[in-house]
Amino acid sequence: MKLIRTFVAAALAAVACVAAPAFAAKDVVFAVASTFTTTDPYDANDTLSQAMAKSFYEGLYGFDKDMKMIPVLAESYEVSKDGLVYTLKLRRGVKFHDGTDFKADAVKANLERVLNPENKLKRYGLYNNNIAKIEAVDDYTARITLKTPFSPFIAQLAHPSTVMISPAALKQWGSKDIAFHPVGTGPFKFVEWKQPDYLKVAKWENYWRKGYPKIDSITWKPVVDNNTRAAVMQTGEAQFTFPVSYEVADVLKAKPDLEVVAAPSIVLRYLSMNTQQKPFDNPKVRQAIAYAINKEALAKVAFNGYAAPAEGVAPQGVEYAVKLGPWPYDVAKAKQLLTEAGYPNGFETELWSAYNHTTAAKVTQFIQQQLQQIGIRTKITLLESGQRVEKVESWQDPATAPVRLYYVGWSTSTGEADWALRPLLDGESWPPKLFNTAYYKNPKVDADIKNAQLATASDEKAKLYKDAQQTIWNDAPWAPLVVERLLSAHSKKLSGVYVIPDASFDFWQADLQQ
Amino acid sequence: MLQYIAKRLLGLLPTLLIVGFLVFLFVHLLPGDPARLAAGVDATPETVELVRKDLGLDRPLSEQFVRFVVGVGHWDFGRSLRTKRPVATEIGERFMPTFWLTVWSMVWSVLFGMAIGILSAVYRNRAPDRIGMTIAVSGISFPAFALGLVLMQLFSVQLGWLPTVGNDTWRSYVLPSLTLGAAVAAIMARFTRSSFVDILGEDYIRTARAKGLDEQHVVVKHGLRNALIPVVTMMGLQFGFLLGGSIVVEKVFNWPGLGRLLVDAVDMRDYPTIQALVLLFSLEFILINLVVDVLYGLINPTIRYK
Repeated sequence: MKLIRTFVAAALAAVACVAAPAFAAKDVVFAVASTFTTTDPYDANDTLSQAMAKSFYEGLYGFDKDMKMIPVLAESYEVSKDGLVYTLKLRRGVKFHDGTDFKADAVKANLERVLNPENKLKRYGLYNNNIAKIEAVDDYTARITLKTPFSPFIAQLAHPSTVMISPAALKQWGSKDIAFHPVGTGPFKFVEWKQPDYLKVAKWENYWRKGYPKIDSITWKPVVDNNTRAAVMQTGEAQFTFPVSYEVADVLKAKPDLEVVAAPSIVLRYLSMNTQQKPFDNPKVRQAIAYAINKEALAKVAFNGYAAPAEGVAPQGVEYAVKLGPWPYDVAKAKQLLTEAGYPNGFETELWSAYNHTTAAKVTQFIQQQLQQIGIRTKITLLESGQRVEKVESWQDPATAPVRLYYVGWSTSTGEADWALRPLLDGESWPPKLFNTAYYKNPKVDADIKNAQLATASDEKAKLYKDAQQTIWNDAPWAPLVVERLLSAHSKKLSGVYVIPDASFDFWQADLQQ
Repeated sequence: MLQYIAKRLLGLLPTLLIVGFLVFLFVHLLPGDPARLAAGVDATPETVELVRKDLGLDRPLSEQFVRFVVGVGHWDFGRSLRTKRPVATEIGERFMPTFWLTVWSMVWSVLFGMAIGILSAVYRNRAPDRIGMTIAVSGISFPAFALGLVLMQLFSVQLGWLPTVGNDTWRSYVLPSLTLGAAVAAIMARFTRSSFVDILGEDYIRTARAKGLDEQHVVVKHGLRNALIPVVTMMGLQFGFLLGGSIVVEKVFNWPGLGRLLVDAVDMRDYPTIQALVLLFSLEFILINLVVDVLYGLINPTIRYK
């Protein structure tokens, strides 16, 4: 009897051992580079907070892992002939985490919230004050009327800011406190946010994509130091990390249980030149500078090879981007252009960087050395964020703007050419309004951008954007440098987590092998 | 003595007011517009204005200052411009991790530092002194971030004994407090040694030895007490520095403390948080100085307070 009991106990224990992994919770830790500013995507301007918010929020439209626009909470849309009225058919059977159904009133409540200046949300400007009214036609049909036709409108709805928050929760917590009690339709429910340590989300049982999510929880853990982030991956304290610094990439690659991924991006790095100031008002000087920089070598030296020479004004992957380059490296030609422009011996100027991290230091030093070859002597300043705002972004008078050569980058978060060109190169976008740090103005480009907004036919838009990009490329208000690759690392047991080209994440399909 | 402490505490107020005024001015003199920083690069001017109003930065400077002082008087430090949570909550959450880390670092580093210092002084210019001072010099010269990374690589990544980040168990305190305390231990060792070397040459030590006391008594009873005064001063100073939160160590070990909060706050020009933090740091220093002064009296009863 005793023997039998022991035997049974042993058998039970063995079964428990075999069965245990199947029941073990699939908890995943994501180690990211900085703390989150908010959980409210309408009040965030950093990609990371918006990426994290994808745990519990979804938009009407969104992007898949390759940055292709896909319908999410909307099923389809129709636009009226005059380009003013968008009618959206909404997905049925979607529930918010508080149990209420997702219906057209949510579209109305969310858009009206961000459009109301009283709410003082940071994404107020995204919709250009161009939405006239939002109506819930029936439960699953929303109609949005614009003031003027704006063809990239659906791309604005796909922007990671435009998400659907539960109207009931908005009413309960109010526009400000919703940031501490997020309630959306996403694959995970909000659990707790222990600043600055971690933010935890758990599986939402009634998620509308049947069979998902496959993991039980995600702990978003901000780990600021590059080396420490690499260490937590090696110890198994985290299963996914982004970004991986170039210095530690090789160390992580050598680990058999980790995989390092270099994903394509739409993060373009360029050198803008103040076209309103001598000597950069002369296109030949600008072209000379573009010729003088060896972009291949720059990608190798400063980005450890995790970048490729830029091939146009907007990087490949952005809709309507045109491949025009890379701009050739030709020192003789650069010297000749500089001589033609009247500067055979070069000149002295300022070279500023919008960032003060090591990679930016390497980039600017490399550019400095390259420009020296054609006699241009530069003084480097790496701007700290406050200085950058004061000296570049909020400089009031364009005529006295102190910026000359400016190393900076841009990631087009709508994935569409309008947001790649208009904020950076439209004549209306000079600081302090937007981010045209080249103070570039070409009526032809401005007209192309404006007409493309009004155009409804896709091929017409493509033609207009192509013309704009071609003109800009020839005018060279920038020396296009490189397009970065995004380095992330994940445990080989984790699948379905991707860094998408705008440096956000796609993780609803995440799964953990036991 | 109580009267003395009460007087010193009262004297705190004007000092804090002056510090508050200066820090308010300096913070607003920093280049960079917090509204623009908060709104982000792709914000339109209207959005920046909305954010400015939201943060209360559209008011005249004098009004902002009065609000700040009145607020502090009511224990209200305003809301963080970055996270929009009350500054008192922000600091409250970060204070304890930094405090405990500081305490543990101080405990081991003071014990270890003083032991090495005493040994070095007693065996002056002999092997223990050489070894002790070599350790001390390395402790000062080895930068904290490098030490932290080496320790982490060894004990977390290679051996797997200790966690890399987090602050939930005693085990997670080991590496950060070792890293943070290394420089303090080294300073304490050198300080104790020099103070002890002076004392050991004094007449009363010779007298003590002459009357036949064993060396242990001479060192611990007659030497230590007298050597303590400068050592305690140094201890107080170091404690104050560490309480401010070590930026480097907190970054390396991802410690949720005040140092990282300060860096984040300065980066985003989070005025209310910077002001409250600087006020807190000054208060800590003043209180620590007071404690040190009181300790003097306990160590050396001939010191009188007036």
